[in-house]
Amino acid sequence: MISAPLRVPAPNAAAVPFCSASLSSSAPRHRHKPKPSTIRCAAAAAAAAPPAPTLYDVLGLRAGATVREIKAAYRRLARERHPDVAGAAPGAAAEFVRLHDAYATLSDPDSRARYDRVAVAVAVAVAQRPCAYTRWAAATGSGRRPRRTWETDQCW
Amino acid sequence: MAEQVYTVASDSETTGEDKSQPSFPDVAIGIDIGTSKCSVAVWNGHQVELLKNTRNQHGMRSYVMFKDDNLSAGVTGGATRENAHEERDILSGSAIFNMKRLIGRTDTDEVVQASKALPFLVQTLGIGVRPFIAALVNNMWRSTTPEEVLAIFLLELKALVEMHLKHPVRNAVLTIPVAFSRFQQTRIERACAMAGLHVLRLMPEPTAVALLYAQQQQQLMHDNMGSGIEKIALIFNMGAGYCDVAVAATAGGVSQIRALSGCTVGGEDILQNTMRHVLPNFDSLYAGQTMDRIKSMGLVRIATQDAIHKLANQESVEINVDLGNGQQVSKVLDHSEFEQVNRAIFEKCEKIINQCLVDAKLVPEDINDVILVGGCSRIPRIRSLVLGLCKKEVSYKNVDALEAAVSGAALEGAIASGVTDPSGSLDLLTIQATPMNLGIRADGDGFAAIIPRNTTVPARRDMLFTTTHDNQTEALIAVYEGEGERAEDNHLLGYFKIAGIPPAPKGSVEISVCMDIDASNVLRVFAGVVKPQGPAIPPFIEVRMPTLDDGHGWCGQALAKMYGKTLDLAVLPKKLQP
Repeated sequence: MISAPLRVPAPNAAAVPFCSASLSSSAPRHRHKPKPSTIRCAAAAAAAAPPAPTLYDVLGLRAGATVREIKAAYRRLARERHPDVAGAAPGAAAEFVRLHDAYATLSDPDSRARYDRVAVAVAVAVAQRPCAYTRWAAATGSGRRPRRTWETDQCW
Repeated sequence: MAEQVYTVASDSETTGEDKSQPSFPDVAIGIDIGTSKCSVAVWNGHQVELLKNTRNQHGMRSYVMFKDDNLSAGVTGGATRENAHEERDILSGSAIFNMKRLIGRTDTDEVVQASKALPFLVQTLGIGVRPFIAALVNNMWRSTTPEEVLAIFLLELKALVEMHLKHPVRNAVLTIPVAFSRFQQTRIERACAMAGLHVLRLMPEPTAVALLYAQQQQQLMHDNMGSGIEKIALIFNMGAGYCDVAVAATAGGVSQIRALSGCTVGGEDILQNTMRHVLPNFDSLYAGQTMDRIKSMGLVRIATQDAIHKLANQESVEINVDLGNGQQVSKVLDHSEFEQVNRAIFEKCEKIINQCLVDAKLVPEDINDVILVGGCSRIPRIRSLVLGLCKKEVSYKNVDALEAAVSGAALEGAIASGVTDPSGSLDLLTIQATPMNLGIRADGDGFAAIIPRNTTVPARRDMLFTTTHDNQTEALIAVYEGEGERAEDNHLLGYFKIAGIPPAPKGSVEISVCMDIDASNVLRVFAGVVKPQGPAIPPFIEVRMPTLDDGHGWCGQALAKMYGKTLDLAVLPKKLQP
């Protein structure tokens, strides 16, 4: 059904861009894009919207959503995006897998805490990219993303 | 035999009904092929309707009777009342039954070995090929296969449905045991194809029950009797051949399968244990099937079966059988004795319930409803065991133990056929999960699970592997499915080779193996070298599984004999992974 392998993130690191903080220690590997699947699908990844959506974005929720809200959002979106409903359209399965990974990570307290820690670092990195809109959004503080200094930014 | 199947299929297609009703609603029917009994249901536009056969039965005995050139399946049970097959005819050696236990299994399988205590011929050579099965026709064993028997049965079932609906049917949703391997699933699909049925979906039995439960909960909410919050149900299904457990979370018409577990124990095992208890020299007495022995064994079987049924409602039961050769069996069986004899089976049930709860990350207190279905759910010990583990006093009342699975399958059939209902009673979705680990052989005889069991479907996972020898240029990807820690303990689904790996010290090459289960539950495996990179790397390989057609028992051994460890892979240690 899916002809070209699509990027589907590993369960817990779901949707965290490849330059996450955990990578920073291994300098020589740093240049490498980590997951092999990323390499195969570099084109597809590049074509996606520039700032990678957070798992909360995938579920259409704010960062502080309750477990109940997460479950409800997952079920609501599953009823639209599950391949049984959305049909065999190309990408329908991948879309649902993305939704489910977001749900799986956020509905488990441990993995959610882990994700939130990493996501904060990534959010900072995104905010500090020379992109007028995201910087403005972060600076005006719609989210609770703390401003950090440039030294913590290992990727750009 | 196969010809006959196709002849009948074409007959039913040219009955002319098609022309008089050019646009019939092509709603998929739901079929529950049980080891012992089979039932069929269809969405009739308002609700699920269970179809009855000419003998006014919902549950039709699953068997095919071979007589001269005349085949008749349990759907009609011998068609007319005068010719009606009695249980003793079914046990005469002329009928093949328990197809669901035999289909897609090799002769080394313990379930096949246990089937040798059946009245028809099950011959095994113990080398990992399909068993030879045959029915007694005019004092001669005539060979057949489980697929063929199932196809003949399904053909008769299809004719019954078409007669009832007055239009041809093509699509079906079938329920299967959780413990069915992907290889067995392909056998079921093949049997359906032989009968002219297209399988729209194969649903693990307890998930079909979960769908029915989701519909009922949705209905309660519409009637303002439900709260609309998530409800957790544990479904325990035990029939004659298999035992399944599922934990499903239900809310808003969405049934999310949290965990599945299943094993190959059922009423047939309970019956055999009890027969051996009643008649301790059972095996020596019936070694070698002669006409006398088949007849005598049939009598013991009927009497024991009857006693087990009676034990559901009474404290003890008396078994009296005249074996026909001057021997007489006379025994009083009570509950404690019965439970002692079948202790191992009850323990296995307990094990899979506990495993299912652990996998679903739930404790008994989280469960709202315990749903008991299948013929064996009538056994008092089974009921008390399941309810005890789930810390419940009573089970869920609103389902029929024998009709729930087929009703769920018919619901799924209507939904998958795109039928909608103004009242919203088909506004349902099942989010399925994989029942078994899927992975490859790695680290010697080990099994590296790439898609672990209870992963939501559709799914896609990958894992990195590396070479085990310096300058290794080829690697074997052997795909297995199952719960065993060693590859050999699992079902081999297929294998392929990655060639042209650039020579490098062992452990330095990275090979990615990705598994993908799509929306139609098709498994594909992608594999190739991802490090080093460059134009000198061979292209990735994509293989649809299972590729094996037969004899998976030997294939693994043949591969090991031929290549030893030369093509082995190892899981790339996490610390080396980027």
